[in-house]
Amino acid sequence: MIPLTKVVEISPTTRHEGHSKLVLKVNEAGIIETGNWCSITPVRGVEKLAIGKTMEQVPKIASRVCGICPVAHTLAGIESMEASIKCEIPRDAKLLRHILQLGNRLHSIALHDILILPDMYLPGTDMKINPFSAEEPVRSVAKRIQRIREIGQTLCQLSGGEAIHPSNPRIGGMYKACSPVAKTKMYDLAKEGLVLAHEQMDFMIAILRNFQNRDWSEVGGMKVQIPKNLGYHNQGYMATDPFYGSSSLDDNPTWDMDRFKEVRPWDWYMGETEVTLAEPRYPIGGTTPVGTKVNPQMEACTGIPLYDGQPVEVGPRARLVKYKGFDEKGTIGQNIAREMEFTDCLYSMIDAIDEYNPAGKVLADFIPQGDGSLGWAANEAPRGTDVHIAQVKDGKVQYYSMLVPTTWNFATCSAALAGAPWQLAEVVVRGYDPCVSCATHMIVLDEDERIVAQRLIQ
Amino acid sequence: MGTELGNYKSVVSARCTDKEILKGAQDGGIVTQLFAFALESGIIDGAIVAGNGAEPWRPEPVVATTRAELLAARGTKYNLSPNMSLIKEVTRSYGMDKVGIVGTPCQMQALRKGQVYPIGLRDVGDKIALAVGIFCMENFPYQSIIQLVEDHAAMKMESVKKMEIGKGKFWVYGKRGQVVQLPLKVTHKYEQPGCHVCLDYVANLGDISTGSVGSPDGWSTVFVRSRNGDSVWAKAIAAGCFETQPMEKVKPGLELVTKLANEKITKNKKTLEGRATFGVGKGLRNPYL
Ligand SMILES: Cc1cc2nc3c(=O)[nH]c(=O)nc-3n(C[C@H](O)[C@H](O)[C@H](O)COP(=O)(O)OP(=O)(O)OC[C@H]3O[C@@H](n4cnc5c(N)ncnc54)[C@H](O)[C@@H]3O)c2cc1C
Ligand code: SF4
Repeated sequence: MIPLTKVVEISPTTRHEGHSKLVLKVNEAGIIETGNWCSITPVRGVEKLAIGKTMEQVPKIASRVCGICPVAHTLAGIESMEASIKCEIPRDAKLLRHILQLGNRLHSIALHDILILPDMYLPGTDMKINPFSAEEPVRSVAKRIQRIREIGQTLCQLSGGEAIHPSNPRIGGMYKACSPVAKTKMYDLAKEGLVLAHEQMDFMIAILRNFQNRDWSEVGGMKVQIPKNLGYHNQGYMATDPFYGSSSLDDNPTWDMDRFKEVRPWDWYMGETEVTLAEPRYPIGGTTPVGTKVNPQMEACTGIPLYDGQPVEVGPRARLVKYKGFDEKGTIGQNIAREMEFTDCLYSMIDAIDEYNPAGKVLADFIPQGDGSLGWAANEAPRGTDVHIAQVKDGKVQYYSMLVPTTWNFATCSAALAGAPWQLAEVVVRGYDPCVSCATHMIVLDEDERIVAQRLIQ
Repeated sequence: MGTELGNYKSVVSARCTDKEILKGAQDGGIVTQLFAFALESGIIDGAIVAGNGAEPWRPEPVVATTRAELLAARGTKYNLSPNMSLIKEVTRSYGMDKVGIVGTPCQMQALRKGQVYPIGLRDVGDKIALAVGIFCMENFPYQSIIQLVEDHAAMKMESVKKMEIGKGKFWVYGKRGQVVQLPLKVTHKYEQPGCHVCLDYVANLGDISTGSVGSPDGWSTVFVRSRNGDSVWAKAIAAGCFETQPMEKVKPGLELVTKLANEKITKNKKTLEGRATFGVGKGLRNPYL
């Protein structure tokens, strides 16, 4: 008997950070019944190797988990240490971190535009967009994107010392205050960025709406129906702040450690199966050949973090849902939310630059060395909530855990794949702006109980 | 040799016309005047210079953004001032796009290397607007200078007004008018060992390089080297910043500069060669290979 459900695998997935694949059970019409999106990036085990190292060093290592959002890992890492040792940092240091945070978000959104544009059509045509084309209007868009990225990166260099792996943040604040010249330069850059971000946001939203109004999309010569509910899911949302984050030092923290637990992939992913559908036309190079054995439970290189017992969505839409009443679901809604953060990000940054006092101190007078208390910090990375949990004693890290945005999103996105034609699965995945290196920094510690966090909450 | 003075477009003997700068300058006040002019005319946003550190005569690299800060850094401090340590930071928290920097020949080499092979120096190279090199025969660790001044010259560091190496002597001038001269052979053992493999005397890689040797007291020998240096020098001359004399007209002139450069390079090349056979059957590293 020939089963009605077939299994198709796209490996590797492209146009996102890191290394991942899609294992999809589809019905006879090619519509996904069960989708498994999993990381196949090698585990680097940052959390394990952090143990015993100094609290100064670990966030600098954590930064190297990802070069697109190193700012998030640096800040969440440092602030989890500060939360553990209970160190309050000066206001002007906070403002510099805020500018750094948003400079990175700005650049990251613009970079993601480049990654999703090839899925989209020039409005009014059946022509897909090649962002590297020298033709107008695409050329001007690409130039604008590059300028926005340059502005974002320069803002990070000024406030954070370096755009990729910021050097300025340290336990207790920042190494360097920005000079009045740097402040003025940041202000001018942010103002220039604001104009460009408005244009870019409007452009992208028009492109996304155009895609939403189309009935079909062409993938490798196949005409694929676009469902109206592409990427819908019923998982919840999680966000800790529209811009920055929260930590256990806050009077009213916006993340609750008790509501979180982490399970291993086999509680969530499908077990061993065999590829029964292959499509050589799928760009570029076709899908996995028929007969290949796959086992997402074993192969997935991430743990599954749960909030209130469920996978949740994090990221721009989660922030907008939580803080701005945004209510659009699906892949297009998700991409639109990300575009809407473009200008928000600059308005907030301009406020921070205005408030920043170059003469203010940027390092706490006293930096405790820690007594082993648990502290956590959540940073709203470009891709969502990045929670780091730490225990520091006598300046050394005793426990360290990173719950990064794409790890939260893996299971959620997998659920969101159901109902989509398999050829559009990658479009759904890209809606999450995945950062698979970020997601795969970890290892599950407690093999027997399967749950990592419970032990440290006790 | 023929290459000991590096490439240059022109060489003159010069002195700045600003009396205030000249008063505290080591020689002709070329470095300070060039930066002051470049700052006022927008060629640079600021300059990395050897400022005054916590201890007397111990330099500390600083980013000078005003004329006053430039003037405060005048004079030669004969010990290590790691000016390149600020080269990246100046484009970061200092927010500068057009950077000036002064340094010894080795520091000019570091700068150029960083521009050509920017390892960990993202977005720095294109922000170097004016590199002024100073001649350098050798340098000393701070502890050596204390020893030379306090033991050999028998003077407290705080009471020193100026130090100078010239005419085959190490000169220490006191604030109360004392002058002590030490023969250079006394100083040799205090030199920093790294200087003994250095093959550059007149800062071959500066946009402009300057030193005292070759020109009369109070005057400087100036090599204008790069296209950028040429343009800045021409503007400074047009603005009346410097008096100049043709190098051929001054004594002791280029001949002495060439001779000293040759001596330095020849001696240090020998040290380098010695490193190759330093051990029994093995040698020490040669960074030029
Ligand atoms: C270690 C050393 C050895 C030298 N050896 C010779 C030599 O053999 N023959 C020769 O002709 N000239 C030599 N000089 C150069 C000379 O002493 C003067 O620095 C030069 O002529 C510039 O004088 P000026 O009046 O133009 O500069 P000024 O206007 O007085 O300014 C001098 C500038 O040099 C900077 N500076 C001072 N000390 C240091 C340091 N240690 N490292 C880096 N920058 C510094 C100051 O910050 C200042 O900006 C040497 C300088 C140094 C630092
Ligand atoms: S002798 Fe060479 S290595 Fe030593 S300080 Fe001078 S330039 Fe640098």
